[in-house]
Amino acid sequence: MTFPGEAEAPPLLDARGLVREFAGIAAVDGIDVSLAPGGFLVVFGPNGAGKTSLLRMLGGGLRPTRGEVWLGGGRIEAGSPRGRERIGVLSHQTFLYGHLTARENLRFYGRLFGLSDLDRRVECRLGEVGFLERADDLTNTLSRGMRQRLGLARTLLHDPDLVLLDEPYTGLDHHAAAVLRTVLETLRDGRRTVILVTHNLTQGLELADRVAIQVRGRFAWEGRSTDVVARDFEVLYQETVDRIEGRR
Amino acid sequence: MKLYLAQLWAVAWKDLMIEFRSRERVGAMAGFTVLVGVLFNYAIDPTLVRPEDIASGLIWLTIVFAGTLGLGRTFELEAQDGAFQGVLMTPAPRDALFLGKVLSNYVILLVVVFIVLGVFGLFFSLDWGSSPGTLVGVLALGALGFVAVGTLFSAVSSGTAMGVALLPILLFPLLVPVVIYGTSATGRLLADRPLAEVDGQLRILGAFALVALAVGAGLFRYVVEE
Amino acid sequence: MKSHEAAEAAGSGIRWLAVGMSMLGLALMLLLHWEVFFWVNTESTMGVVQRIFYIHVPAAWVGVYLAFGIVALCSAVYLWLGDERVDMAAVAAAEGGMVFTTIVLLTGPLWGKIAWGTYWAWDPRLTSTLLLWFIYLGYFIVRSSTENPERGRRFAAVVGIVGALDLPLIHLSVTWFRSLHPQPVVLKPERPTLDPDMLMTLMTGLLAFTVLFLGLIAFRYGLERSRWNLELRTRRAGSA
Repeated sequence: MTFPGEAEAPPLLDARGLVREFAGIAAVDGIDVSLAPGGFLVVFGPNGAGKTSLLRMLGGGLRPTRGEVWLGGGRIEAGSPRGRERIGVLSHQTFLYGHLTARENLRFYGRLFGLSDLDRRVECRLGEVGFLERADDLTNTLSRGMRQRLGLARTLLHDPDLVLLDEPYTGLDHHAAAVLRTVLETLRDGRRTVILVTHNLTQGLELADRVAIQVRGRFAWEGRSTDVVARDFEVLYQETVDRIEGRR
Repeated sequence: MKLYLAQLWAVAWKDLMIEFRSRERVGAMAGFTVLVGVLFNYAIDPTLVRPEDIASGLIWLTIVFAGTLGLGRTFELEAQDGAFQGVLMTPAPRDALFLGKVLSNYVILLVVVFIVLGVFGLFFSLDWGSSPGTLVGVLALGALGFVAVGTLFSAVSSGTAMGVALLPILLFPLLVPVVIYGTSATGRLLADRPLAEVDGQLRILGAFALVALAVGAGLFRYVVEE
Repeated sequence: MKSHEAAEAAGSGIRWLAVGMSMLGLALMLLLHWEVFFWVNTESTMGVVQRIFYIHVPAAWVGVYLAFGIVALCSAVYLWLGDERVDMAAVAAAEGGMVFTTIVLLTGPLWGKIAWGTYWAWDPRLTSTLLLWFIYLGYFIVRSSTENPERGRRFAAVVGIVGALDLPLIHLSVTWFRSLHPQPVVLKPERPTLDPDMLMTLMTGLLAFTVLFLGLIAFRYGLERSRWNLELRTRRAGSA
């Protein structure tokens, strides 16, 4: 999806005709995503719409059955580590090791990314998600919310150009959700391109400049957030979902 | 190159740190060793066979069984919280990840090798012969090849429905050369034969280890890709 | 539509090849059996049972060397290029290979009982074949027990490649072991000196088994291709 008036800025992320099948059933059934640098796309959709599969393909973690993903002129391929330093992914799984401390987890990933000035970056991220006092606690002693925050720190550690967030609000308490929201807002700095998948219509709309509703593996609706008024959006969302799922 | 080694070491360090804190693999393998030693003692009739005569075989089989037990876990610990997926999303080359895993598995197995030697030496009053250093060398070399192949196939079996139960079926046929040359060399060293008689075995064990590392590093990327 | 037709044409080409080769193979097998049972002379030292040799050796040639060689080669090419058709050739060869390897493992001990007095004597060739049988087994298990079938195919290819690399060393090691520890049982006699009739029978055997094997894997490959095309069409129809 591209918007008129933006044809000048080359898209940072360009994915065409993405399809992913599992045992013959298409979880993602032909989706195009084209985002200029600094864009913030929020994808809403019911369970089973294929949002996670879409995000995994965009992040290079899942090989598309059809279609390709291009990031800043370079192809993102599932088997290859090329381009990974530009992508940060946060999903339901936090990708953290329980027997390592928060600090050790971040340092581990930092070394895999080959980051210079690692200590400073780690401390900076830990501070950003409010983690400094518990940085030396083992990760398996942390609550779900804290692990999610730590996961966010890990996602941003290497300063990625593209940030993919898969339902990061899941299982968070109020405080953790507030921290998450603060960090997400800092991501709207125009430097980074973000795709956020969430169930939370209000929060999502506040952050987005593009919105998409994914149902049954396709984008059933796409538009700018400025075109949408929050309370009407709920209705729109429900109608869109019902329309497509009601086919069955 | 420096980055490559740093990435390799990061993976190895991470595994060793986790093992150090949880002690689950070494613990299981050590317990297994001691109990197998006990079972061997009762399974062998000392009036018919002297345990010292078959010590080499017992040592190697115990290392293979205990090692397979431990190797099965190497990718399962990654599955919690999807951790290896996160690692694969970094730009670290897949062969560096493989070699890092091999390194940590190797260190853990070497610990077990020493436990086996200690336990069996105690249980069966073994005499280590005149070159214990070479003896350890033979075991270390055989263990390296074992760990290389085992790490690759542990990744394979972790990705199947059967899981780690599949690992012996995949691994044991491939280990036949290691067992044959390894037990032969170990047996001769225990019997105090001249070092020249184990030269050939050492070379082959070394070649096996080298090729296993190279092939494993090359094929790993095809195994871990989703 | 053009690619459809091309695929169809290729498909029927394979089928003709398969039918042709299989029939030729069967004909050769009939010839072989006639030779084995009615024509060739009885070997002097071992007697009638030696005729198993004409089944056992060709089966070994096909199942161990030819089939597994194809499996290893196709597996490597499959991983390199990602072309599914190469993998289809690999699995076809593997299935045929396993069948013939099983024949080797059944005929070998039968021969052994008469020739050596015991069913199993750790003969190096037979032992290597047994281990190869397990490698084939591993190949099929990993292939079918993954959630994602493509991953299963890659796993199988890895098993094939590593197995092929290790097999020569396995054979070397079991031969070496045997040479150090001669069995008290009567050792396997050296391959009998073949008179021209016996050589002819053996050659027939090799040819018959090879042709039949190739015919069978051509069938199997064609089957796999058809299945693949069917899936492809179903998918395309579904998403249209």
